[in-house]
Formats: sequence, C-alpha cells, structure tokens
Amino acid sequence: MIPLPSAAPGRTIFAHESPVAIIVFYCLAVISIAVFFYGWGRRLAKYRAGRSTGCRLLRPAPAGSSGTGPGTTGHGGCPVPEVVAGVNATPGTAGAVLALVTNRTVRRRSRAVGLAHLAVFWGFAGLLVATTIVAIDYDVYGHLVTGLLEGRQRSFFNGDFYLAFNAVFDAAGVAALGGTLYLLWRRARAEHFHPQLDYRRAEQPDAGYSRSAFVAGDWLFIGVLVALLFTGFVVQGLRIDESHFPPYERWTWMGWLFARALTGVGIGAEAATTVHSYLWWLHASMALGFVAYLPFSKAMHIVTSGADLLVTDPSTTRCLPPPPAAEGRAGYEVLTDFTRKELLDLDACTKCGRCHAVCPARAAGAALSPRDLILDLRQWAERQRGIRPVLDWETRPDATGPAATGPGVSLAGDVVKEHTLWACTTCMACVEACPVGIEHVPTIVQLRRSLVDQGRMEPRLQTALQNLAQQGNSFGKSARMRARWTKALDFSIPDARKEHVDLLWFVGDHASFDERLQELSRTLARVLHRSGVSFGLLYDEERNSGNDVRRVGEEGLFEMLVEHNLAAFTKSDFSEIFTTDPHSFNTLRNEYPGYGLEKRVRHYTQVLADLLEEGAIPVRPLGRRVTYHDPCYLGRYNRVVQAPRRVLRSLGCETVEMPRNKDNTFCCGAGGGRIWMDDSHLTERPSEMRIKEAAELGVDTFVVSCPKDYAMYSDAVKTTGHADHMTVRDIVQLVDEASTAPGALGVASGVAVEA
Amino acid sequence: MKLIVAMRQLPDLVEELELDSSGKDIDREYLTFVSNEWDEQALEEALLLKEATGAEVCVVALDEPDVDSTLYTALAKGADRAVKLTGIPEGWMSTHDRAAILSAWLAEQSYDLIMTGVQAADDLDGQLAAIVAARLGLPHAAVVVRVDAKDGVAVVSQELGGGTAVEAEIRLPAVLGVQTARQPPRYAPITRIRQAMNAGGLEEAPAAVTPGVRPGLRRLFPPQRSGQAEMLEGAPADVAERIIDILRSKGLIDAGA
Repeated sequence: MIPLPSAAPGRTIFAHESPVAIIVFYCLAVISIAVFFYGWGRRLAKYRAGRSTGCRLLRPAPAGSSGTGPGTTGHGGCPVPEVVAGVNATPGTAGAVLALVTNRTVRRRSRAVGLAHLAVFWGFAGLLVATTIVAIDYDVYGHLVTGLLEGRQRSFFNGDFYLAFNAVFDAAGVAALGGTLYLLWRRARAEHFHPQLDYRRAEQPDAGYSRSAFVAGDWLFIGVLVALLFTGFVVQGLRIDESHFPPYERWTWMGWLFARALTGVGIGAEAATTVHSYLWWLHASMALGFVAYLPFSKAMHIVTSGADLLVTDPSTTRCLPPPPAAEGRAGYEVLTDFTRKELLDLDACTKCGRCHAVCPARAAGAALSPRDLILDLRQWAERQRGIRPVLDWETRPDATGPAATGPGVSLAGDVVKEHTLWACTTCMACVEACPVGIEHVPTIVQLRRSLVDQGRMEPRLQTALQNLAQQGNSFGKSARMRARWTKALDFSIPDARKEHVDLLWFVGDHASFDERLQELSRTLARVLHRSGVSFGLLYDEERNSGNDVRRVGEEGLFEMLVEHNLAAFTKSDFSEIFTTDPHSFNTLRNEYPGYGLEKRVRHYTQVLADLLEEGAIPVRPLGRRVTYHDPCYLGRYNRVVQAPRRVLRSLGCETVEMPRNKDNTFCCGAGGGRIWMDDSHLTERPSEMRIKEAAELGVDTFVVSCPKDYAMYSDAVKTTGHADHMTVRDIVQLVDEASTAPGALGVASGVAVEA
Repeated sequence: MKLIVAMRQLPDLVEELELDSSGKDIDREYLTFVSNEWDEQALEEALLLKEATGAEVCVVALDEPDVDSTLYTALAKGADRAVKLTGIPEGWMSTHDRAAILSAWLAEQSYDLIMTGVQAADDLDGQLAAIVAARLGLPHAAVVVRVDAKDGVAVVSQELGGGTAVEAEIRLPAVLGVQTARQPPRYAPITRIRQAMNAGGLEEAPAAVTPGVRPGLRRLFPPQRSGQAEMLEGAPADVAERIIDILRSKGLIDAGA
C-alpha cells in the first residue's frame, strides 16, 4: 500500500483507503453537508420571518464627508443636509467588504486579538480554498470531466502547481494554528480579561442560572479548530515520513518539519503508514463533523458575523427606525416584528464581550449587559423557531427570561426584564465596540416602545412624559417661561419669528429651565452677543427636541414635539441652527431631516471654534491644563471631537486627554431618558467613575460641553470627594473668562497673544 | 355593571394665574387646561374595576377648554364611551351649576356607580359628588381610596382623619368622591391618544343649564399676605440695636431696660 516515491511531485488522493472506505467517506460527507444546509435553511427561514427593510447590500457608494450639498440621501432615503461618513452616511458595499476582509472592526481597540483573528480568518479561508481545489481536481476534473469524457481520470494536482499549493497553504495552516493557539491561550486565562470574558449575567434571575454550556461551547469550538489544524499537519508529516522524504516535499515546509519531528520521536516509515490511516479518519471526521456543527453553534459566526458586517448601518442608531407600525404594534412583541437585519444581529454575536466591557449601565451595577440582551433574545428566537443549538444556551431551573413561554408572557418585560431595558443610557458604546456590526440600541428602543405602550414605566418617567406632552418640557414648567432666563441679560436676543437671524439657537430644556444651567446659557448669550454674530431664539415656541423622548420609546410624543418644532422653524427666518444640548443636536441633525428640516445643524462648540479662529472673540491665553469630556451624542454619535479641542487650543489651554476619549468616551449616565429615572440603585454612578478617571490626570479643570454633563459632573465631583481640587466648567465659561478678563485683546489663534 | 366617571378641566397651575378686568374670574385667554388630578384617580379606579369585573366605563365632561384631549386620553386608557356635554357658558362655573348640569344628564342614563374626583382646585370642599348624589337621591361616599364590586353592592375603603380608615358597603347605584386609586393613574401613550382621536367616537349631548338660585361671586383675589418679614442689614452692632428697638416697640421686653 505504500505509494512509491515518484520523481514527479504529487500525491495520491485517498492513498490508503479501500473503495468501501471511500464510499463511506462520501456518504458521511453527504450527510454532513445535508445537515449543514438544513441548519442554514432553518436559519434563513428565521431571518425571512423578520420584516424586510430592503437589501442594504445593494446600496450606492456613500457620499463623501464633504462637498455634498442638501438632498444627499442618508438613512432610510431621507434627505440629510449634511452627510458625514460614519455618522449618517449609509456605508457602501466596497467599504463594508474591505472592513470584513481586513478584520478592521475586530482589530479596532484590540490589536492582539484582532491580529490573531485575522490570521485565523485568512488561514482558514486559505485552507477552504485548498480543500476546494483538491475537490475540483479529484471530483470534478478527475471523475466527472475527464473520467466521463475521456474514460481516464486526469489531474492537475501535480508538478509545480502541487509544490506551490503546498508551500502556500502550509503557510495558511500555520497562520491559522498560530492564531487559534493565541486565542486558546487567552481563553484559558479568561480571568485576566475581566469583565470581557466573564459570562456572569448583569441581570440576575431569582432562581439562578447556569452558563456552563456557553463555556463548554467555546472550548469545543476553539478545541476543534486547533485539533483540525494539528492533525492536518501531522497527517502531512506522516505522508512525507512514510514516503521516505522525497526532496520535492520540502515545499510542504510545515509538513516536512512535522515529519522530521515524527522520525525524531521514533516514528519511522512503517509506523507512519499504520498511524496515517487512523489519524486521517480522525482528521476527516472532525472536519465533516465541523461542517455539520457549524450552523448550530458559535461557529456560525463565520457566516453570520461576516454577513452582518456587510449589512450593518451605523446611521440606524443615530436616526432610529420607526415602530413596526404595519403590524399595528407600537413596539416589538413577537419575532416577526424584528427586521431581518436584527435577527441576523442575534446570530452574529460571538459573545466576545466588548459591549459588556464598555457598557456604563453594566459598569454601574445595573441589570443591563448588551451581550446578555443579545444572547437572551437569540435563545428566545431559537426557541420560537424550534432551532436547537449545540452547547450554546443558558440553563435555568425555571422557565424565565429567554425560556419564558406561553400566553401572558411579554417579550419586553418578561423575556427581557423591564429594569434591564430601562437601564440603557443609549450611549452607543456597545454599537461602537461591536466588531460584527450588531446594533443593540435600536432593538432596545423598539422593546422600550412596547413597554411604553403597555404603560410600564417608573413614576418619575411617567411624570416627565406627561409634562412633555402638556407643556413641551420635562420640568413641568409653563411653556411660556422657556425664555425667562434671558430677562437677566442687559440686551435682548432677537426673536427669530420676527426678524432674520443667521443662527437660530435651539437652547433645549435643561439650559432653559434648570436654574443651575441658566447662567451658562446667559454666558453663552453674552459671548455670542459680544462677537457680533447674528443669532436668535424661538422663545416660547421652542419645545423639547424629542431626542430622549424617542429613545425612551414614546414615539407618538416624539412626533408631536417634532411637528411643533418644525412649525416653529417654518414661521421663523434663519440660515442655520445650533444647539446647546448634544442630544438635541443629534435628533435635529440626523432625525429631523426625515420630517422635512433642511437646515444645517451645528453644536455651540462648533460655532465657538469658528468665531475664535476668525478672531470675532478676542481672548487672552488662559494657560490652564484641563481635561475634556466628550458627550456621547457629540463625540461618539456625531464625531464632533475637534471643535471643542479647537476652542480649548484657541484659549491657550493644554488638553490632557482622558484615557477614554472621542468616539471611545464614557457616558455620564444621563442619556436615553435616564435623566428622568431613578439612579439610586446603582452601585456607582457612571459620572462618578468618570470623575475618578479624570482625577488620575492631575488636572484641576474638567471641561464639559453639554448641560446635562454640567449637572451630572457637578454632583459627581462632590459625591466622590474631588470638589476641593477639581472644578467642572462648561467650555463657554472658559471662553468667557478668557474674553472678559483684563488684558483680553488681539486675535486668538493657535498662537497665544501675550497680554 | 356600568360605571360613569365625571371629569372636568382646570387651568394648568404651572401657568401664572391672573385676574381678568371684571375681578370675578381669572384671565383665561392664554391659559392651558388640564384635567382635574382627582378625576384622573377616579378614572383609574374605574378602569381597575373594569379589568376586575368587565364593567363598562363611560366618561362624561362638560365642554370646557381642551376637554377633547382629556376624553380621548380616557378612551386611550380603556374607557368604553366618552360624552361631552355641550352648550356650556364660558368662564368659571360654580360647583352647584356643574352638579346641576351633570345630574340632569345622569338622570337620563343607566348606571351602577358614578365616580368623580373627591375635590378640585376650585372645589376644595369636595361638594360636587355630594350635590350630585343629593340631586339624584343616591347614597354617597367621599374620600374613597378603593372600590370593589360585590353582588349589587360596592365595598368602598375610605380614609378618615387621624390615620384611620373604614371599609363600608354602599348600596348601588351610588356616587363616590375618589381620593386615590389603588395604583397611580396609568400612562396613555400619545400614539394611542392620536389613534383614539382619529377614530373619533366622542359623543356629544346638549347640557341642560337650568336657571335657579345660585350663590353669586362678589370678588376673586389672590391670598392677601398676612405677615411680612423684614431683612435687617448692616453691621452686627447696628442690627442688634434695631432688634432691641423692635422688641421694645412690640412690648416684648421692658421699655426701660
């Protein structure tokens, strides 16, 4: 049976196997492939049960981040006056494919893991190509084409092609083996990667739970991959060993090394022949088993995560999709309410835990982990569709959470707990961190919509919503009092409803009604007034923008507020809008265009940066060392990260960056309507963690650019005991200080003007 | 079982109330109106009763500013019918007039229980339920905090003073002045209110405004300040002198001391 070493490079397929064994192999292969397609058929049927939102894979290339005028299509086909890549531009297919093949999202913020994954990705892609080539040569070219046509099986798997094949695909195997061994080693040291690889739930079921199947499933997956690669190389080594090391097999360089090692441990040509057959069957059955196992396990991410990355659209979280109104429902209640993309999201999750690690609610001890949310929904969806996964479920002694079934069980409230859904600050850190393109926040909002529809919410939130419905602000104050803060100014701000202004200032609830923040609004008014820029207000006709109302899940109230604000815009005369509040900024910029707003929207830090650089606000350098906190809705949602830093530079301040900054900023805990809810149950408020992070930097000024941040962090410096050496300052207070202090003169720029 | 909940509109007290030129009413021109918060409690208790017994809930209100929003909100929350009594004279209406209009309409209806808020901002004495009951010749209970229906009677819990409560059976039909429901009034999502508005379904009935002897309103005025604080400023020694002078002038210390 020992094939003679031939002079011509090549190898015989099924060299050791009898015709019966070959038939057995093909039968097993057919079964495994049948199971593979059955599994994917079940999954595809599940996705098809979801709502279709159009194929986002067949979309036009994104418009550039600059030079695109009004009318450019953004999310959902609505016109966006200003398209910004990565914010409201729908990504193009080419970019998505590039991100996929380079593993860009996997490498982001996790270099070592990302590179290991890239090696595994391309390694296995190479091995898949290798196996396919052999199959084409042996089965298609050999048996079907030449075998049938010429009556004689021919092969191209020899000669130089054979040598190059082995050299290249041995490299692929080595890459895959190196990558999997690193990931195996990391998994074995999971405790060093706390909390990312910690599977303990954020929301604790009363009767307990076990996630040991998750852990076993992880080990099975990585274990099979390593075993496949290792046995593959050993089989190669045995073949070279038993054929007495033909010199051309040096091209099979890794197999050659394995063969050398085998002879080194005393396995000669004779022994190799015996072992070869057994090990080949082990290798082959593992491979066939893996194919069958793939659609039912963590391994499905090989397909689902890639597919999700191709169809993910970061603009979805910035501009939330409407409720599933066609089904007559206000929010998600049943599986068919989910979009196909969202059902794919559930299967795309690899439990990598990046979202779990960055979530401020999880860090604060709340009952939310974005990872748990996705995994719970996935298990619920699998049960709904009768799909039984392999080692990929959580067990509970009672039928609660994802196992809850029967009449009276509501998806929002029972399957996913109420306090879990309300814990979300919609800071979007999870969406940003997810390497496979899962959009957690839109799903959470859809589930919240269902809670709101059932009237399930805490009393404080209900009061806030009733105030918003009645008076258009969450403070429950008269709508006519909105601009009362302007009365303490010694000049009057033009009324945009009565005269033309260049900039319409959308002040927002907190900056208008919160007495602690009204002085900040007056400071901004004075700075703008002195600069000579033309700006005005809507006065008592402004209403809450609705950003947080929408994220709470009160879509009807959001629409009511939008209608009111749009009517006020229509009767006013202005060129563009700027906001104090980053949350208002987000909805005006990304969501209002869908309702007809066609004006450019900016944040006040952008206005200030331009005015300072134009010299319209003369300042003296402050020479302070400060740190700056990026608001989620400014830095992460809208990528406005340079404007506030330009302002600080213009003021001659040195900005010491926080460890988590810009699009990686950490939430203050107030977003997504959390500011209207009780946070006394948290073990530590996110704002307090953030202040402690800042306290490590050795700076005395914590600069913010959001009214809610000012309120949250002013409290947090006191409660964390840092009030005596750290002050929270709104960026406009620094501008004011630099422009009114003695010696304010000259044109401010990067070059400091000496006083 | 048929429940009728009488609701009413009041100026939103977050607005600054001002008197009109007549001095007998507040200036209603720029006010926003909301439903009486105790009526919301009565509605909630009625809806809970509906959920427990399958009763029918009908809401009735006089045609006052923004009343449609209150009635549609009640429908969105689960009320079965909403009736608006039209032809109401503008301006403030006394509780007696209000009770007369409601009673005239109620006399034509079939019902087991009439519920309304125990009081309102301009009816702190809580007379409405009592007068309606008197006009209809029905039993009445005030300061109700819970209602359960049981074989032709209602079991009502009432709050008494001094931290005591009483549970009583009341023969039906009856009129109840509700203090609180057993749970906070539910939230009506705007989408549902809008759906109710789009569906219409608000019934209208002419209000029978009967002439009669009523108490007349002579004057409306903000509460007069009964006392005033005077801030003493200046050096501590001067302030101390002033305090002594004041105490002497009030006769609180011996004038010659």
